[in-house]
Amino acid sequence: MAMDEVDYEVFGNEMQYVEVELDPGEAAVGEAGAMMYMQDGIEMDTVFGDGSAQQGGFFGKLMGAGKRLITGESLFTTVFHNESNGKRRVAFAAPYPGKIIPLDLGDLGGTLICQKDSFLCAAKGVSLGIAFQRKIGVGLFGGEGFVMQKLDGDGLAFIHAGGTLKEVALAPGQTLRVDTGCVVAFQPSVDFDIQFAGKIKTALFGGEGLFFAVLRGPGKVWLQSLPLSRMADRIVRASPAAGGRGREEGSMLGGLALGGLLGGSDE
Amino acid sequence: MVSRPEFSARHFGPGSSDGGTPVVLVWRDQWLVVRRGVEVIHTLRAVEVEPAARGFNNAQLALQWTIDDDRHMVVLDSAAAAAFREVSPPALQHRLQPVAAVQRRTERRFRWGIALLAVLALLPVAALGLVLAFADPLAGWVVDRIPPSVEARIGESVLAQTRAQGKLITAGPAHEALQTIGRRLAGPEESLQFFVADRPEVNAFAAPGGIVVVNGGLLSLADSAEEVAGVLAHEIAHVELRHGLRQMVKSAGIRVLLSLAAGDYGQLAGWGAQLSELKFSRDAEREADSRGLSRLVGAEIDPSGLGRFFAKLESVEGAGGALPAVLSTHPATEERKAALEAALVQLPPVAVRPLGIEWPAVRAALESPRP
Repeated sequence: MAMDEVDYEVFGNEMQYVEVELDPGEAAVGEAGAMMYMQDGIEMDTVFGDGSAQQGGFFGKLMGAGKRLITGESLFTTVFHNESNGKRRVAFAAPYPGKIIPLDLGDLGGTLICQKDSFLCAAKGVSLGIAFQRKIGVGLFGGEGFVMQKLDGDGLAFIHAGGTLKEVALAPGQTLRVDTGCVVAFQPSVDFDIQFAGKIKTALFGGEGLFFAVLRGPGKVWLQSLPLSRMADRIVRASPAAGGRGREEGSMLGGLALGGLLGGSDE
Repeated sequence: MVSRPEFSARHFGPGSSDGGTPVVLVWRDQWLVVRRGVEVIHTLRAVEVEPAARGFNNAQLALQWTIDDDRHMVVLDSAAAAAFREVSPPALQHRLQPVAAVQRRTERRFRWGIALLAVLALLPVAALGLVLAFADPLAGWVVDRIPPSVEARIGESVLAQTRAQGKLITAGPAHEALQTIGRRLAGPEESLQFFVADRPEVNAFAAPGGIVVVNGGLLSLADSAEEVAGVLAHEIAHVELRHGLRQMVKSAGIRVLLSLAAGDYGQLAGWGAQLSELKFSRDAEREADSRGLSRLVGAEIDPSGLGRFFAKLESVEGAGGALPAVLSTHPATEERKAALEAALVQLPPVAVRPLGIEWPAVRAALESPRP
């Protein structure tokens, strides 16, 4: 499988986008809707399925599309070819505040399991698949659901997640307890399990939920500091229009009101 | 030299990169050789390595060993692991069995778990199907357990609602005519109340608790007291058979289950419940027709009035007039009309006492402007 070598540059701090440079004849696949801009000479082609080269025939394409439907991705992927004679650039933007990280699948053994929706773009030849979480408890309480995304290939792939992304390397047998929902991606050699928070008191009043996600090495894992659902929850709670309780910003009266004093300011 | 099968794996431990370093595993008799490129980095006896099912979904095979307190591990993906197991010496192979067992157990639990989740997700749908299939007997069972006092209270609230929507005519020829017909129809121990609503639509309805409301529009369309008596007998039959109550119980149950099964689709749920109400009505209408007919005969009122009123409704419809409201809730199907006619023919000749109401005077009173 011939992977296209791509050069790239990530712009921005908290709301990032990645600009990918394509040599003549090279191509990149992007999540539908992620493209931000592209230079002259780049042709956009929407393909049914995931645009990876190894799928043969109509049935293979249908399977690829079905997988994407299950992961909740759009049915079509967009392939961006450079049809010109020089280097051209195309950019893909992250859909919400967070970080974009480039991953070289070749260095990682060719396969990466990631949270669905985290894929942004990749060199053409990277195949997007799904991997079912087969541990029932993890599927129910692990925060990532039963359907994960699997990236196969040996080229560059860009994934995106909320807040700050942290890469952690786990030695054989080393474990890390993570809040559910914060796991973005990991190598297939990493065990992903859940663990009961331990004490009922902690589980009910500690605010960390009933379970931790437990990651056990060896291998690399990537964690996000701010899952989108958490941010969305805070936004809704702070928005009077969405049925939450609003807070007056910078108003003397609002700050002095009894509710404002008792309510604290960290919500 | 015999070529030995080689297995690609990733090595984690001192000297490897964080994401693992690709290595090749080869068996040389009882020795497992771990090679990085062409360089041999470890040579291990089969008994030295500790196998375990590891990784995402326990799908990978991990082999661990310790040298000078340093932990090393190589990880094989499931395809490579299967082939590796085949050529392993017996010393390791029997320790690979539990690994395969763990992997099978993970898979088995997943299947059972998914099946259980599917059952749980389908439970409201299945309950809905059951209730729809047995809606009538179920509603009947519930209705049989509702005491008359509750029924009367429901009737009162329906009456209060009718009062709020439009004026009730409580005096005058139309009111008196209705009471006269009602008295003839009602049995001695029945507590039935009849009301005329001042509304132009051709309609009549019966509420639980023996409350029958007839619209002024229906009285104006009738040509004789017998026709109105036919409609009243039919409505009384609805009360007697507790049709209104049954319908309420049924649609409430279906609404609850539909919203459970469909999640948040409130609109759809309401629509579905209404559709099934219509179907219920048709069965109930047939029943009320035949029960009403025997009541008319018992009260010695000419039973052909109901049929005549039906024919009148159809002619209003046929003439291109607006569909009378009564037809949308009391559909006059061909089947129902035929059944009514057949029942009339089969009736033995009965003694008939005329009701003796001057109907044109009633109509005149209804059409005159009221204060």
